[in-house]
This record gives sequence, structure tokens and C-alpha cells, in this order.
Amino acid sequence: MPTFRRRDFLASAAGLALAGPALAQKKGGVLKVSANANPSSLDPATGGSGSDHSYLYPIFDTLIDFEPATLKALPGLAESWSNPDPTTLVLNIRAGVTFHDGTPLDAAAVKFNLDRARSDPRSNIKGDLATVDSVEASGPQQVTLKLKQPDSALLLILSDRAGMMSSPKAVQELGKDYDRKPVGAGPMKFVSWNDNEKVTYARHDRYWKPGQPLLDGLEMNVIPEINTALRAVVAGQNDFVYFLSPQQKPLVERAKNLTAVSGPTLYCVIVFLNFAKPPLDNLKVRQALNYATDRESFAKATMAGLSEVATTVLPKAHWAYDPALADFYRYDPDKAKALLAEAGHKDGLELHLIGYTDQRQQQRQEVLQEMWRKAGVKLRFSTFNIPEGSAAFFSKAEGNGLVSQWTGRPDPSLTFTLLYGKGSYFNAGRQEATPEIAKSLAESRASADIEARKKAFSVLQKQVLEQALSVPLLFQFELDAHNNRVKGFQPNLLGKPRFNGVWLDG
Amino acid sequence: MRRVLAWLRRDLRAALSVGFLLLLLGLSVAAPVVAPHSPTRQDVNNTLHEPDASHPLGTDDLGRDVLSRLIYGAPATLYASFLAVTVAIVIGVPVGLLAGFLGGWIDDAISRLIDTLLSFPAIVLAIAVTGALGIGLTNGMIAVGIVFSPQLARLVRAQTLIVKQELYVDAARVFGASVGRILWKHVVPNAIQPVIVQVTLLLAVALLAEASLSFLGLGVQPPQPSWGAMLARAYHYMEIAPEQMYAPGIAILLTALAFNALGESLRVALDPTMKRR
Amino acid sequence: MLTRDRLRLIRRRLVQVAPVIVLATFIVFGLQQLVPGDIAVTLAGDNATDARIAEIRALYGLDRPFLAQYGHWLWGVLHGDLGKSLLSGEVVLDSIFRRFPVSLLIVGCALALSLAIGIPLGILAATRPGSRVDAFVTSIASLGVALPNFWLAMLLVATFALNWTIFPATGAKPLSAGLGPALLHAALPSIALAAGAIAEVARQLRSSLVEVLSSQYVRTLHAKGLSPAAILWRHGLKNVSVNLLTVIGLVFNRLLGATVVIEAVFAIPGIGSMVVHAAIHKDFPVIQGVVLALVLIVIALNLLIDVLYTVFDPRIGQK
Repeated sequence: MPTFRRRDFLASAAGLALAGPALAQKKGGVLKVSANANPSSLDPATGGSGSDHSYLYPIFDTLIDFEPATLKALPGLAESWSNPDPTTLVLNIRAGVTFHDGTPLDAAAVKFNLDRARSDPRSNIKGDLATVDSVEASGPQQVTLKLKQPDSALLLILSDRAGMMSSPKAVQELGKDYDRKPVGAGPMKFVSWNDNEKVTYARHDRYWKPGQPLLDGLEMNVIPEINTALRAVVAGQNDFVYFLSPQQKPLVERAKNLTAVSGPTLYCVIVFLNFAKPPLDNLKVRQALNYATDRESFAKATMAGLSEVATTVLPKAHWAYDPALADFYRYDPDKAKALLAEAGHKDGLELHLIGYTDQRQQQRQEVLQEMWRKAGVKLRFSTFNIPEGSAAFFSKAEGNGLVSQWTGRPDPSLTFTLLYGKGSYFNAGRQEATPEIAKSLAESRASADIEARKKAFSVLQKQVLEQALSVPLLFQFELDAHNNRVKGFQPNLLGKPRFNGVWLDG
Repeated sequence: MRRVLAWLRRDLRAALSVGFLLLLLGLSVAAPVVAPHSPTRQDVNNTLHEPDASHPLGTDDLGRDVLSRLIYGAPATLYASFLAVTVAIVIGVPVGLLAGFLGGWIDDAISRLIDTLLSFPAIVLAIAVTGALGIGLTNGMIAVGIVFSPQLARLVRAQTLIVKQELYVDAARVFGASVGRILWKHVVPNAIQPVIVQVTLLLAVALLAEASLSFLGLGVQPPQPSWGAMLARAYHYMEIAPEQMYAPGIAILLTALAFNALGESLRVALDPTMKRR
Repeated sequence: MLTRDRLRLIRRRLVQVAPVIVLATFIVFGLQQLVPGDIAVTLAGDNATDARIAEIRALYGLDRPFLAQYGHWLWGVLHGDLGKSLLSGEVVLDSIFRRFPVSLLIVGCALALSLAIGIPLGILAATRPGSRVDAFVTSIASLGVALPNFWLAMLLVATFALNWTIFPATGAKPLSAGLGPALLHAALPSIALAAGAIAEVARQLRSSLVEVLSSQYVRTLHAKGLSPAAILWRHGLKNVSVNLLTVIGLVFNRLLGATVVIEAVFAIPGIGSMVVHAAIHKDFPVIQGVVLALVLIVIALNLLIDVLYTVFDPRIGQK
């Protein structure tokens, strides 16, 4: 992402000002949400689950905000920023903002948060800030980050967990208990958390955005089973449900009181491959798997069409997407067989894949099993719960592949480095793919100019495809449903709902 | 053999359930010949379809033939129930007999152990054991069998206790019969009846346990079909295609009914007090 | 009621209970050690390295020897501290006090239903063995036993919650929210739970009652001219009550287990969902806490049943 341009900021500030007068009659209501999982923690620094964000956004404002549809960086708690040189990032912190407990949000508080994220033994986001060398409060409301190397991905990292600001006072006083008693500067104050039942929030009356928040309160009710979660909304027990499966779309449409919201996300269903281990260390076998994959059918069978087929790990809407690569692997079982034969697997091949146990995942496994069988690849599955399955494949290098998903990262450099970089956790074999790919990875991160980065990503994506380092299958669309009283909801490309700007009618 | 046939001729209920179970067994063996389609062949253009000539029970969420999956699911399901109950009997019955008959500190010790095991939430223990052994049908069912065994042991013990109070056992003891002989001659025949009742109940419960474990994703691995797994999948399509849950549910119900009916008939046939004189 | 014999029995049992509790929690603790992997993998988050996982393990004391961990836990329990969930940090005792009433309400309703329906059915069938009533009850019972309660729950939801929207499809309300809403939410889950239990109570009662009523002793009473009702009440039911108690004990325990799956179908925040979640993620303190609570409940019930045995069959108490 390039540095923030002043024009954009003025535009969004004007938008806010315009919205002001209309807000008066919008205010009100307690939104009840069917949420899919108990939070792992409500402390952004110690939590570890991708499903926590919807719980965290109401409590925590981030240093950098993002545009929901494109993930372009916007001012957040940092009202502006600049890069005096490629390894320095200066953030100007908005004045007059306080945390829910009254602590002022100043440069010292930001430094405290970033240092804590980088050094606390319980922090799970050390890796996100790995390129940060030092953080200095260069003024009462100004923070300067010195970087070890140029990193254009950092800006959007600060729109994620690492940019969520906690009250230093609360963190210091509560210690480990802060996990369950978060204090941020977001639109909602935390009230209570009953495990696997609900998290409740109340309006923060002194929120810095004028007129916001519109809701009086928020209640996140934990219902892991998506059908049951939707049922709770159909029956009126809750107002909003997210992370629905595409198969539920007709149900939402059939219920007269409900509105469906859907949009593309970065959430990519993918088969991770361990390309350091036989037989997938053979390029021809990996290519064969890609040719053996009928992505259109897969999408139809598992997503009822509510998705976008994936060749690479970036969706069409993404700025770094290269349309020239769309058809790189067209479904061709004969070619797959031929490639397998060339690789010495004339009579077929058995692969051991890791998978997860829930029904949707099993459905994906079954479709894949049948599809690849036609090309002579027999699949044997071992299934686990999500953390253990991931650990088995990524940490212990068990199995040849993992049927899973890549939830996306705010910046694409991060995605490609994490997936295919040497020694990265998500590269199960930990080996360098090719020297060319390593070089392209570094180049994609070096420049702040968007056109230069686009070119770098085209080259990188093509190299990754040629090497067939994974088998991306499709991008899941976000599907949410809410009753007609819910107004003002806007989906985002991350696919993790934010309820800022939502209100209830009547 | 001839006595069995004679019994089946006399007892219609037994004949029906034996017939049904034999049919299942036959289907299990002959599945590839009998099933109209492959249980794994998918057709994404023909999913959740209503029954027609080529798919008598319709198709599932991936366009697979439900009837064929039902037929191919029979062996897995039968195997699961028998395995669990066998494990339970092998552990539970001898333990219960010994505790009830010997009494004293042995009874106390065994009873405490039974109490302890009975105090566990059955499904949770099954989940934990399955986790330790590794996910899969066999491991899951062994876990279920272990969890069931104290129930049997406790029932056998309670029965043995009552029988022991009866005069004839005391009498036998006075006459110096050996423990084994008393157990075999007097206690076992009297205690066996409720055990058979309980075992038949357990067969039904084992079917349910298979469904439960599959629902939690700890049972059969894809794409091997089992009725429990089919039911678990149907749960996800409850609003769109409620008919998906009928076929596997009815299959489980009928099989459990057959087990129960057979058990009841066996009880009548084996009961010494009901024997034809 | 409380004779000296019974008080002695209760005292003896209470002394025996302590080792059972220790044994039970120890077995569960040991079982968790058998299970490969631990919660550190989950706690460490999405892209944790092995070093990070080891760090987490040390942070939470998961790397200490088995006995040290168990001892630490037991010591806490003796001081009324069940610890906190490793996964989320919630105080385990709080979760238990919040969730147990939810599950016990459903299980209690189901048990009440199964006794209220099962006992009359059993008596009805046993007093007219071989009759059409008997055949009917036996068939109903067979059906009830064979009915997967998980499937029944699905059918009930599909019919009464989704199609006709008479009952809520999901969730639970505590008794504190009023008897009406609480029972409305508990209705479908407890019916689904009770079906098997009704059948079991009816079957077992019928089976033992028939046996007693056909005994030589009862036939003699008949010959003496006692009315059938008097025989049934004074001799029949009293004699089968021991069996019935055993059945109630079994049924209660099975209901507690079955509620795990039923709670999943209805998304009820009871102990079921709590323990499944904890077991899958190996959240030791939560599993231990739930097991301890379950053990205490079941042991209390067993004790009650043991005492009642002696009430109904005094011969058992006087060893």
C-alpha cells in the first residue's frame, strides 16, 4: 500500500461530517448477534483465532482503518502518517481520544501497546511486527517506528490485531486477567463474557467519532453450529448471523423477515502441499494435482455457486490480481494422468491428506477425493480438530497435504511470504521453493509504489503457479443474514463483520 | 440348528427380526452387486434430488445415490454396534457376577470402581478415549463399549445380589457346592435375563452412539458411508431437504427394533421359568 | 426412616466416596495425558512455531510432571478453587454454576417424564400380560428404545420449531427467567431425551413385575383370596422397587450423557457443549471441573439409591 494521500483523508472526513445530522434519528437498540465461536481471548495481543475479530472490533479502534470493499488503508487512531525514508514510519495520533477507563490515548500509550505486542511472552502477534526494530514516542501525539528493512505491508498490519490499542493502565493492573476484561478506545465498552454463551457490550458515550456509535449495546451469542445459528435469527432470538454456508442462502431468502448480505472475501479454500516431501517434491505431480482439479464443479458442489474459483490466492477484486493468470490450470484429467505417468506414477498414486472433522470440511474432502480419483490419485484422510490438524501438517510435517483455508492477510506480501517463504510456518516443508520466488517475494515488499508492486506480484504469482506450490480451489463469499430492523451494515473483504455504523430500526 | 428353526417357526417376531438382520447381513456382503450405483459417485448437477426411477431414495448433497449409500453403510453400522456391545459384555458380565456373588471387600472394591466409571459422562469419556486412540469407527466403538461395560456389571451385580438372597443358593452353599458351580447353576440363569434385556437395549444405544460420534466428526472417515454419518450430514440440510434425514434414521430405527425384538424373543426362549415343560 | 443401620450405611458410603472422587478425577487426568497434543497448540494461535508452543506450555505449567499437575489441581479443589479455563480464562466454578442448572433442568424434566409415563405403562402391561394392552405397551417401548434420540430431536425441531414454530428451535432459559419460558425451551430437548428413558422404565418395570406376579408366592396369595390390586401394591411393586431403583440410576446417568448430543442439536449452553468443547481442545481444568461435578451428582444419587434399597428390601442392609 502506498503512503496515505491527503486527498483521501479529506474526502472521508467530509463524509463523516455529512453523515452527522442524519444520525440523530438512527440511534438506538441492542444488536443481538449469532456468533460462530467463543473468543480465544478478548486481548488482541494474546488471542490467536481468526474468528476473534468480530468480538474485538467493537472494543478496539485500530491505528489504521481500512476501506471495507478494497482493504485500502484509511486513517484510524492515527490521523495521518508518512515515510520519511523506506525504513521509517511516522504515525500522528489523533488528539483527545481516551480509552474506556479514561486513560488518554497518546504516543506513550501507542508505544506501550506496540512494545507489548513485540515482547510480552504471551503475545501471539510478535511475528506481525517482526520487521519493527524500535518504537519511539517522538512527540506527545507522534510515534516513530524504525524498521529493519522496508516493509510496505506494515501499514495494514496496524489495521489488524497489532493496531488495536489497549488501555496501558488496564493491562498493567489486570495482568493475565486482561484477557477477559479488555479496555480499548472503540465504540463499545466491554461488559461481560460468559464462556461459550455470550459476550455483551455497552455504548461508549465518549467515543471520538461524532454521533457514533449508533447502537446502545451489542450482544454476541456464541452458537458454533451455523444451521442452529441461523435458526436463532429466523426465530427472532437474534438479529444477525455471519459466516453462513452458501447452502443456507435459499433459507435466508425464504424467510420474509431476513435480508441476506454477501460479498467476496480473501477467504480462500485451498489444499496446502508439502512440496519438500516425496511424492510432492516432484513438480510434475503437483502440476498434475492442479490439472486434476475441476474448480467449477468443486465450487458448485460445495458452495452452491456462491463463490469465485481460485487459481491463485488473490481474488479478482484485489488490486494485485493479474487477470492473465486466470486460466493457468484448466481442468484436464488426461493431462494430469500424463504428468503423473511422466513422474513415474503410471498406475496411480496414493496421497495422505490432513483434514478437519466438521461436516462442511468433510464434504470438501469427499468432493476432492472423487475428483482426483478420476486422475488416478487416491486420497487417504486423517481428520482432526482445526488447531491439531493444522499443527499436524504445518508443525509436525505429517501428511502430503492439508485441505483447509487461507483466511487472507491485509497485505498480499504477507500472504505470499507466509505461504511460500523459506522457513515460514505455513510452508510445511520449510524449504525454499525456488531462488526466483524468494527474490520476487522480497521485491514485492520493497517498494511503496502501487504500480511497481502490481508488477512484482504478477511475476511472483506466475512463478508460484508454474511451481504449483498449492492447489487453491475457491474464494468463499461472505454470507450474513439479518432481520429487517438491522440497518447500515457493510460487509468487508476480510469477511470478518464489523458492526460499526449499524443501528436498529424501531 | 433344528431347534433354532423350530423356535423361529413358533415365534413370528423372532423370525421377522432374524430375517431382517440376515437381510442386512446379506446386503452388507453383496453391496457391490445389489446397490444400483456406486456409493461415492457424485453428480453436482443432481444434488438433494427427490426420489425417481434411477434413484429410488433420491440423491444427497453431493448428488450421490442415497439407496446405494444406505446399502454400503449397513456393514459399517452393524460392525459398530456389535463391536461396542461385545466389548461391554466381555468386560461387564464377569465383573458384575464376581462382585455380586463374592461380596465382602471384593464387592466393595469392584463396586467403587463401577461407581467411578459410571460417574463419567459416557459420551465425553468416549470422545476422550477416541482422541487417545485416534479418530475412526473401530476406536470410537471400543471406547463406547468400555463406557457401557460398568452399566452391565452393575446390573448383573444387583441381580446376583437378589438371587443370592434366595434360599436355594444358600442351600447349595450349605451343601458345599463350589463357587463356580453355584454361579453357573443358580446365579447365571437367574441373572442372565435382565442382562439380555440390557444388552438388546445397548445394541440400540450403540447405534445411536455411532451417530453421535459421527455427528461430532469422530466416526467414519469419508467417503466411507455410515448411517450415522448420513444423519449427521442430513442435519445440515434440515431446512432445505428434511427428507434427507428419513432414510438413515428409519434404517437405524428398524435395525435397533430388530435387535430388540430378537433379544426379547431370546429372553422368552432362554428363560428357565418360561420353558415348556 | 433413618435407622441406625442406614446411618451406618450412609457413613460408610461417605467414607468410600472420597477415594472414588480422587480415583475418578485421577483417571480423567491420566486419560488426558494419554491424548497426544495439548491445548498449547490452540493457545499459541494460528501460526505458532514449535518454540512458541513450548513457551506457552511452560507459561501455563503444562510441561510439569503429571503428578505435580494433578497434585496442584487437587490442592486447589480442596480449597474450593477449580482453576480457570486455559482456553479463555473463565473461572471454572462460575461456568459450572451457570451451566449445570441448564442441563439439570432438561435432564430433570426428561426423568420426570420418563417416570410419569413409563411407570404407568409398565404396570398396565404387567397386570395384563399377553393382552392387547401389553402388546401395545411392549411395541411402544421397543420403538422408544430403538428411536435414536438425536434423530428424534431433529424430527422435533423440523416439525415443531421450524415448520409450526410452536417451540423455540435453539437455546435455553433458566428457571429464574420464569417457569413458563424455561419449560417452553426445555420441552423439545427433554422430550427427545425422555423417549428412550420412558421405554426403558416401562420395559424393565414390566419385565420384573411380570416375574414377581407369576411367582409361586403370589399365586399362593391369589389362592388365599387377596384382591389383585392389593397383591400388586403390597407385594408386586414393593418387590420390583429394587429393580426400578437400579433402572432409575442407569437412566439418570444415561440422560446426563445423552444431553451432550441433544444440547448440540438445540445449541443449549449446558454442560454438554461445555465439556465437548473442552474435551476437543483439551482444556484440562474445565474437563476436570465438569467431571468432578458429574461424579458428585452421580455419587449422591447412587448413595440415595443404596439407602432406598434397604428401605424396599431390608435383607440387603443387614449383612
